Amino acid sequence: MAANPVSIRLVGISARFDHRVKGEVAAVDDVSLEVAPGELLTLLGPSGCGKTTTLRMIAGFQRPSAGRILIGDHDVTEVLSNDRNIGFVFQNYALFPHLGIFENVAYGLRVRRMDEAAIRRVVGDVLELVGLKGYERQMPHQLSGGEQQRVALARAIVIKPRVLLFDEPLSNLDAKLRVQMRGEIQRLQRDVGITTVYVTHDQEEAMAISDRIAVMSKGVIAQLGRAEDLYSRPASEFVARFIGRANLLRTTVLARDGARLTLGMAGQRYVVDAPESGPPVGAVAHAVIRPETILIGPADAVGAIPGRVVTRTYLGEKTEYTVTVGADTLQIVRIGAAETERFEPGAAVGIRLPAGRLHLLPEVGT
Amino acid sequence: MLWSLLALFVVYPLSAMFGQAFLVDGRPSLGPLLSALGQPNHRAALANSLVLGTLVGIVGTTIGFLFAFTATRCNLPDRWVRLLDAATLLPLISPPFTTSIAFVFSFGPRGLITYELLGIKGTNVYGLASTLAAEVLTYFPIAYLALRPVLAAIGGNIEEMAFSLGSSRWRVFRTVTLPLAVPGLANAFLLLFAASLADFATPLILAGSRFPVLPTEAYLQITGLFDLKGGAVLSFLLLVPAAIVFLLQRHWVGRGHFVTVTGKAGPQSALDGVSRGARCLLVALCATVALSILYLYALLLYASVVVAFGANHALTLKHYVVIFTEGWKAIKDTLIIAFLGMPVGGLFGVLVGYLVARGEFRGRQAMELVSMANYALPGTIVGIAYLIAFNDPPIALTGGALIIVACYVFRYSPTGVRTTVALLKQIDRGIEEASRSLGAGSFTTFRRVTLPLVLPAFFAGLGVVFIRSMTAISATIFLVSIDWILITVRILENMTELSLGPAAAFSVFVIAVVMLVTTAIGALLRRLPGPPGIATVAGYGGG
Repeated sequence: MAANPVSIRLVGISARFDHRVKGEVAAVDDVSLEVAPGELLTLLGPSGCGKTTTLRMIAGFQRPSAGRILIGDHDVTEVLSNDRNIGFVFQNYALFPHLGIFENVAYGLRVRRMDEAAIRRVVGDVLELVGLKGYERQMPHQLSGGEQQRVALARAIVIKPRVLLFDEPLSNLDAKLRVQMRGEIQRLQRDVGITTVYVTHDQEEAMAISDRIAVMSKGVIAQLGRAEDLYSRPASEFVARFIGRANLLRTTVLARDGARLTLGMAGQRYVVDAPESGPPVGAVAHAVIRPETILIGPADAVGAIPGRVVTRTYLGEKTEYTVTVGADTLQIVRIGAAETERFEPGAAVGIRLPAGRLHLLPEVGT
Repeated sequence: MLWSLLALFVVYPLSAMFGQAFLVDGRPSLGPLLSALGQPNHRAALANSLVLGTLVGIVGTTIGFLFAFTATRCNLPDRWVRLLDAATLLPLISPPFTTSIAFVFSFGPRGLITYELLGIKGTNVYGLASTLAAEVLTYFPIAYLALRPVLAAIGGNIEEMAFSLGSSRWRVFRTVTLPLAVPGLANAFLLLFAASLADFATPLILAGSRFPVLPTEAYLQITGLFDLKGGAVLSFLLLVPAAIVFLLQRHWVGRGHFVTVTGKAGPQSALDGVSRGARCLLVALCATVALSILYLYALLLYASVVVAFGANHALTLKHYVVIFTEGWKAIKDTLIIAFLGMPVGGLFGVLVGYLVARGEFRGRQAMELVSMANYALPGTIVGIAYLIAFNDPPIALTGGALIIVACYVFRYSPTGVRTTVALLKQIDRGIEEASRSLGAGSFTTFRRVTLPLVLPAFFAGLGVVFIRSMTAISATIFLVSIDWILITVRILENMTELSLGPAAAFSVFVIAVVMLVTTAIGALLRRLPGPPGIATVAGYGGG
């Protein structure tokens, strides 16, 4: 459909408003971002981080208080949303309750004064594409949540927008349907190749669907990158904790050798890649390690750090442990472990932290 | 544009009335107020009004609560609940004095019960007791409508929880249900107090000379003594408690004291909320009240088809002939005014409601408050204010149809305003944004999305303006003239001339027309497309 996908560029946009108590508040604070043509980029973050406000500014529902927005080569900052040629999918679907499914989908085409025969053909095609052929005469409230969201999707893509914007489209659906729908959205977006910005607070959804993810916190982008980058090399404690589960370890920098640092923790030495402006020798540094990369074994294993099991939770395909090591408590996840492997609460165990899985945080957020 | 209309028909008359009441020879003065308070019968009227309002509030809230409790807790079959609803709807859509007229038929000197059944001669129906009873029967449905959702929201889980903790049913009622309903009860009391305070027709017919109340005193001051200043001062005396009640009630509802229960109202409890005995008692009480209402209306119908009620009970249609010949002018005028006011009022309500809910301009709340003023104030005040404001140049409108239409539009369109605001609050802004994102400009969005969605509010508002145009009297009795007369005013004249037959026939006619139009609008609303969730908030309450 979209033969020539366009890029979206945000140049230093902010959304400030006056708060009754706090004075001037920035929901979005000087954010710059470039979405490549045809890319699916997700804005991910907890509620109140500014992701939806950013999306609404791209859509033109809200004027940025500073900065420019460019779609392709056009500066659209001052362009009304009805002239931006966007497709927007709302969290609560926002179907027109007084119009049938056919008319809902045809709405944007009628506004564009397409002739009746063409409308019939195009709407029929798009309804077939989203798997709702035969629903033309139904009213929105007769459809299930998943079906309504498909209508909303069809209504957004039928006008062949230059960019597609999703505002938490799946959060009103139940867990199974969510997984199925996100697959469909991804497939559809690949097929039509429209540049897409997708907003969600669900990190799993973001990782499953996106080309790149921008993690947002308090109105700024905390980290931008592929899912793999964010997971294995989080830029801050916030990102580490928001994407997946993380153990944060206090270590001491023992030595520095070019791009390599030697860290000491619990009497063990670990050599890791140093960030550009690494901490000086002797300083305290924080390292992140993911629960499923930690090895757990018998207490007498050679080179293992001694620990004690506090809880053990068996979850079928995996088993979760919490283990105290000195003053720290570590979360450990064992995936596909043998059924005979049982470390009961109270048992002394030995754990190992593979040095390659240890990631030093450049800075520690609070 | 809307502002100038509101200024002309709401702010200007009220300030003119204040001017009349507090200006002597162009200088502000408290003289008129003090001299009015010096007159014993004016003081009595003030006291009587407050006593009557309090009693109506207490008794009406009690009955309303009984009805609401029975409807929500007794697991009645649907048919029974609908019967209760029907019995309570009748007083809401009738002219405000219908009950009073039927009361005269029932308990008057030649009344069915007092004279025919009990054989008491020379009874006096007039006074506090009958005024109180008639007003309670007329206005308790307001309390019922206000309390029912409150009780329904309290139900289910919370009471089950208390049961599970070992409380007895009575204890649950006393310690859980009743305390949670207190804000709702207070709200209902205030609504009824205001309704009684504003009621003009019931005391005019039933209160008699020994029980003066403020609205009737103000009316007599103006029509009997042609004393505009005295009328204005009495209106002010009436305005003070009315404004206090209005602000109290607004504060109560606005602050959300109302929503005592968060989360979902659980399913109606499978347990019987009340014991068998209590249930029988409740149903019997409600049935008695409902049957008395039906009895009064049946009596009215009967009185309209007999030659002379209390003397000659031969069937006849002559009263109907009278109202369609001699009374034809009143019928014609009333219908013309009602049909003129209907679309204007409906449109006005939707426009103001849209601006209040969606507009982004300064003074939004002020506009809402001003648009509600004529609705919240007793009709007598509004009528006197209009009379004072529009009697003389620069804007002399009295005597014409325009002033009556304007009075109805500005007094009864607030229902449309509130329904529109409520509807728009239900409609997510996202729907309008979706339309804009699909390329529709703001005008297209309004025409193709917003307008169809607020259509129910338009029709509801229009319906209320029509009903009130047919039934209201308190404000417009000051505004009728030889050229433009209203049915309700004719009914009152008939009552004072003791030609009861035509009065009854007129009342039956009005009720029939109102029911017809209400049913038609209801059917129309059901046929409007859209989800069932966007139902209308039929605000028929309030006189």
